[in-house]
Amino acid sequence: MNDKLVGQPLVRKEDPRLLRGDGRYLDDLGRGALAAAFVRSPVAHARITGIDVDEALDVEGLVAIYTHEDLPGRIAEPLPLLIPHPDLTHPRTPYCLANGEVNHVGEAVVMVVATDRYLAEDVAERIRVTYEDLPPVVGIDQARAGERLVHEDAPGNVAARSVQTNGKGEAHEAIASAPHRLALDLHIERSASMPMEGKGVLAHWDADDRTLRVHSSTQTSTSVRLAVAAKLELPPDRVEVITPDVGGGFGVKIVHPWPEEILVPWAAMTLGRDVKWVEDRREHFTSSAHERAQQQHVEVGFDEAGRLLGLSVEIWHDNGAYVPYGIIVPIVTSTQLLGPYKVGAYRVEFTSLYTNTVIVTPYRGAGRPQGVFAMERTMDAIAEYLGMDRLAVREANLIQPEEMPYDQGLVFQDGRPLIYDSGDYPTMLRMIRDLVGWDGFEAERAAAAAEGRRIGIGIGAYVEGTGMGPYEGAHVKVETTGEVVVSTGLTTQGQGHYTSLAQIAADVLGVGVGDVTVITGDTRRFKYAVGTFASRAIVTSGNAVAIAAAKVAEKAKRIAAAALGDGVAPEDLELVDGRVRRRADPATAIDLRTVAVLSNPLRYAFDEETKAATQFAAATATGEEPGLEATGYYMPERSTYAAGAHGVVVETDPETADIRILRYCVVHDCGVVVNPRIVEGQVHGGVAQGIGGALYERIVYDDAGQLVNASYMDFLIPFATEVPHIQTAHMVTASGLNPLGLKGAGEAGVIPTSAVVASAIEDAEGLAVRRMPISPSELYELRKARQARKEQVSA
Amino acid sequence: MRVTFTVNGRSAEADDVWEGESLLYVLRERVGLPGSKNACEQGECGSCTVYLDDVPVCSCLVAAGQVQDRQVRTVEGLADGDRLDPVQACFIKAGAVQCGFCTPGLLVQAHDLIERNPEPSDPEIREALAGNLCRCTGYEKILDAVREAAAIKAGIA
Amino acid sequence: MDFLRPATWAEALTARAERPDAVPIAGGTDVMVELNFDRRRPGALLDLNRIPALRQWTRDPDGTIRLGASVPYARIIDELRTDLPGLAMASRTVGSPQIRNRGGVGGNLGAASPAGDTHPVLVATDAVIEVESAERGVRAIPATEFYLGVKRNAMAADELIKAVLLAPAKGPQQFSKIGTRNAMVIAVCSFAVALDVAARKVGAGIGSAAPTPRRPFEAELFAADALPWDSRADLDPRIATRFGELVAAAAAPIDDVRGTAAYRRHALSVMGRRTLTWAWREHQSSQSCQSSKELT
Repeated sequence: MNDKLVGQPLVRKEDPRLLRGDGRYLDDLGRGALAAAFVRSPVAHARITGIDVDEALDVEGLVAIYTHEDLPGRIAEPLPLLIPHPDLTHPRTPYCLANGEVNHVGEAVVMVVATDRYLAEDVAERIRVTYEDLPPVVGIDQARAGERLVHEDAPGNVAARSVQTNGKGEAHEAIASAPHRLALDLHIERSASMPMEGKGVLAHWDADDRTLRVHSSTQTSTSVRLAVAAKLELPPDRVEVITPDVGGGFGVKIVHPWPEEILVPWAAMTLGRDVKWVEDRREHFTSSAHERAQQQHVEVGFDEAGRLLGLSVEIWHDNGAYVPYGIIVPIVTSTQLLGPYKVGAYRVEFTSLYTNTVIVTPYRGAGRPQGVFAMERTMDAIAEYLGMDRLAVREANLIQPEEMPYDQGLVFQDGRPLIYDSGDYPTMLRMIRDLVGWDGFEAERAAAAAEGRRIGIGIGAYVEGTGMGPYEGAHVKVETTGEVVVSTGLTTQGQGHYTSLAQIAADVLGVGVGDVTVITGDTRRFKYAVGTFASRAIVTSGNAVAIAAAKVAEKAKRIAAAALGDGVAPEDLELVDGRVRRRADPATAIDLRTVAVLSNPLRYAFDEETKAATQFAAATATGEEPGLEATGYYMPERSTYAAGAHGVVVETDPETADIRILRYCVVHDCGVVVNPRIVEGQVHGGVAQGIGGALYERIVYDDAGQLVNASYMDFLIPFATEVPHIQTAHMVTASGLNPLGLKGAGEAGVIPTSAVVASAIEDAEGLAVRRMPISPSELYELRKARQARKEQVSA
Repeated sequence: MRVTFTVNGRSAEADDVWEGESLLYVLRERVGLPGSKNACEQGECGSCTVYLDDVPVCSCLVAAGQVQDRQVRTVEGLADGDRLDPVQACFIKAGAVQCGFCTPGLLVQAHDLIERNPEPSDPEIREALAGNLCRCTGYEKILDAVREAAAIKAGIA
Repeated sequence: MDFLRPATWAEALTARAERPDAVPIAGGTDVMVELNFDRRRPGALLDLNRIPALRQWTRDPDGTIRLGASVPYARIIDELRTDLPGLAMASRTVGSPQIRNRGGVGGNLGAASPAGDTHPVLVATDAVIEVESAERGVRAIPATEFYLGVKRNAMAADELIKAVLLAPAKGPQQFSKIGTRNAMVIAVCSFAVALDVAARKVGAGIGSAAPTPRRPFEAELFAADALPWDSRADLDPRIATRFGELVAAAAAPIDDVRGTAAYRRHALSVMGRRTLTWAWREHQSSQSCQSSKELT
């Protein structure tokens, strides 16, 4: 028997290509295509009073200029609401090109097509759009006040209001009757996915074949295909969407169809020429999507042991100018806030508010970082109040392994009950305690203090729903060369699916990883899929690949049994080392590739190999459909719940308020691990984004709704100089919900980072951190405010 | 205008180059070398890093006309035919690639570091790579790769 | 657009005079950003990369270092760290390695951004900017008079920056910069201090805390007067603290996305105190070296 490949830290099959500069991302395709560029709104909220293109018309190389008035049929209608929800009472989605009104800086107003990108931008510069300013709504405070409205017909700027309770009593009563009570007001600022590659679309219209081929840098090719077909009123069968190499997604590319995903194909059809649009960095800042911004009011009641008896959380969520992706983010915050804890009676209410800013859609973590921030800040506040060890408060509230599966009594973002399938949270907390050096920290603190240094420690935990449905599928085929081709509909943005899915297929088919080629995100190869987001790919596609491969293995055994004759039955056979052989007598065997030849009964041979499958040769199987291939789908009944705990030690400069991370530790449980090297990379990358979100990255709007730091110069993504060494430890509690025992891992690293960094800064400084991210300037202001309070008290 | 220069050891000629064009655009659109990536157009991310006369620079900040008669080496020119450069090989081994978009620039920058400093300390590696943004990896495995590549090169030397 | 490629300095000056619509480009670290972002479509680019003199530094007979406007920061760090330690320290904080391989002080001066990293050192060390035009020849502008406002400098339209004249360090120099991120970050504020041991003078420069780089004159005079030049005595912390306070008082910072005015002022007082302390300690140790040399 082969050593199992699942679980091995294999190197990635796709790397040599990417390392030679042979990766092919959207902008590397379509040489010679016409280039599109956009005139985007320079103001946050206004009526468009005129569009003057006269000055632009004499630019050599101009091909076309389009405004909303030029758009036909369904293209002129608002973009779809992707995820409707009964609580989303006032959904508003944008038009492809602004229809008389703009609602954020960066909203597309005019589309230009020219012979190259430089020219297209020159044309765009010369188009004069006049605006009549409307008062902008910027920030949650202004949205809540409701004095100014983003959409006239959305009173109070409220898109949705939603309440959930966990069915364990009335939260306010539980809080009121608890021995102790606390209230906290918390803020998280805006941030963004910010993949290194922005979005991009290339479209080719074959007028003879009446076929549209669209390349898009997306996290869901299958869904883009359906959306484009619907908008352009083409039969889906005539639309192909292909995802080339994608330079990172982190959530922002799951939104679809972006206006450009409709407009570029439409222009290609209209002009009969290939058209390409590649988003530049500023466009990505001002016209894609952001996340994170929330205000929270937490009320908690607890006993002497720090046990939560009642928890009430109110959330005000900034959803930006439109809600094409619905209210998934605040739903995730509301339901994943509880983490590994039992909280007694829980009530959560969120209000999702319009502002005149870029839309808000899931960014890695997707609302969880905010929820964990609320929960873990609450834990720390309780510890502070009771004078208890912060870890002890958490331990007092943990769900125990024997309580699994544990029903939190809520409805998750997939519309299914939120039931933790498995997990061992006490062990997880013990592991992080040891890894971060919790017990020895007071000695460390004292040693640092003796040198005039100030350090602090923070800790936090989370539970993450992963691997949600509705489904993923895969097609597995053994070629007559012996190559195994796995086609999935899901896309890949750097998660290593070419390797991890190959490991799964290779195990089932008894071949090497090198024999397996994985194809992703190409609707010509696989049409049914959902997409790569929400830490779901390996759970859903991984199991689908295993199911499809198992069907292929069964078929191979049946065909091989017929070919081997001599009373061999399929159940006597196994697939090992590229052969189908008798378990009892491994010498009785047939090559898998020969089985593939035999699986396709032939009238005409085309080489030596295929002679064996012709009519007058013996031993072809009967009663089988041709081809050694099968399709399989995995449809989870509900999400599976991964978990983790992080610990961090920070140092703060007592004078400059500079904040440095000295040590970052992660304990991570994502069930059975397919490729530890890949999972570790996912965790590291998530933590780096988390550190960015805690200390460096924020999207800043001024009062007029201008995005004032829309560049890499001012939106501070961490470099290698900012991300510390990350120590990781893994634990495995397999999921019982899927055959492979998998849980997702893509978002884990980012989820608790702001919470634990805040906890450590609080510990170092002895002051309350209620808002993240935090800069040295802000820490200085917190110190100053505390000093002022002290002086007031003494005076 | 016409721009003639040497890229990866071969002479290259680009015609009808607009005078404001960047070297990055010329490489990608005019001489068929799309390996160098465009992610910010302002020298902040390092994805477009190439050697210009043996010095790593952001090719988005070099005007096309400035490379006339000069030598450029891109990610496509790092491997010796089928044989990957040790930096490339170590990126695979360490698992230092995720989406791969920043990788070409990182490879050139890391390659230069090891050429100049065969035994870089950890802070030296971090500082040398502090002009290359990576959004996927958290840099941990990139550092592993550079450390190992340096060790290999030092062993060869 | 034209691409002008002068081979000599004289040709460059002629081109500058004849083409007021031309934008000089050397390292490209500012100009190319404006072109890439479609913010600027000048009539011509005037490429200064081919003029060898701009990429060299030389020593005048009186010892003054004549730093060509395009000598890349990386070379300043490698080659001039002994002669111009303050400038070398500031250069190390400019952009990224790639930017330091390409950009030079001339670009920092031409752009005259309040956050330019080398400005505080140039004003603290009495650097002189040498500019030239075809018509009027060379003009020497003291750094303190060079900056006129945010992104405005004292150059005429037909002038090019030729060199920066800097005296080799006459004592310890220090530079400090505070940014939200370690690498590749625009300064929240920055500060440079230079001791002239023989003349018993202190030069200082503040960056990113006013529309132009500033010299905190009162702080300089105070330190020159208060430092225990005669003895090798340790610096009285009260002197360093007072110096820091005077530095902060000289700044005119604003609130922006990188930090509040109050934080900037506070950080400047800390940087002033720390850099003066470091510089004095360096002075003490170099003095003791010298004395021990004299003894042997």
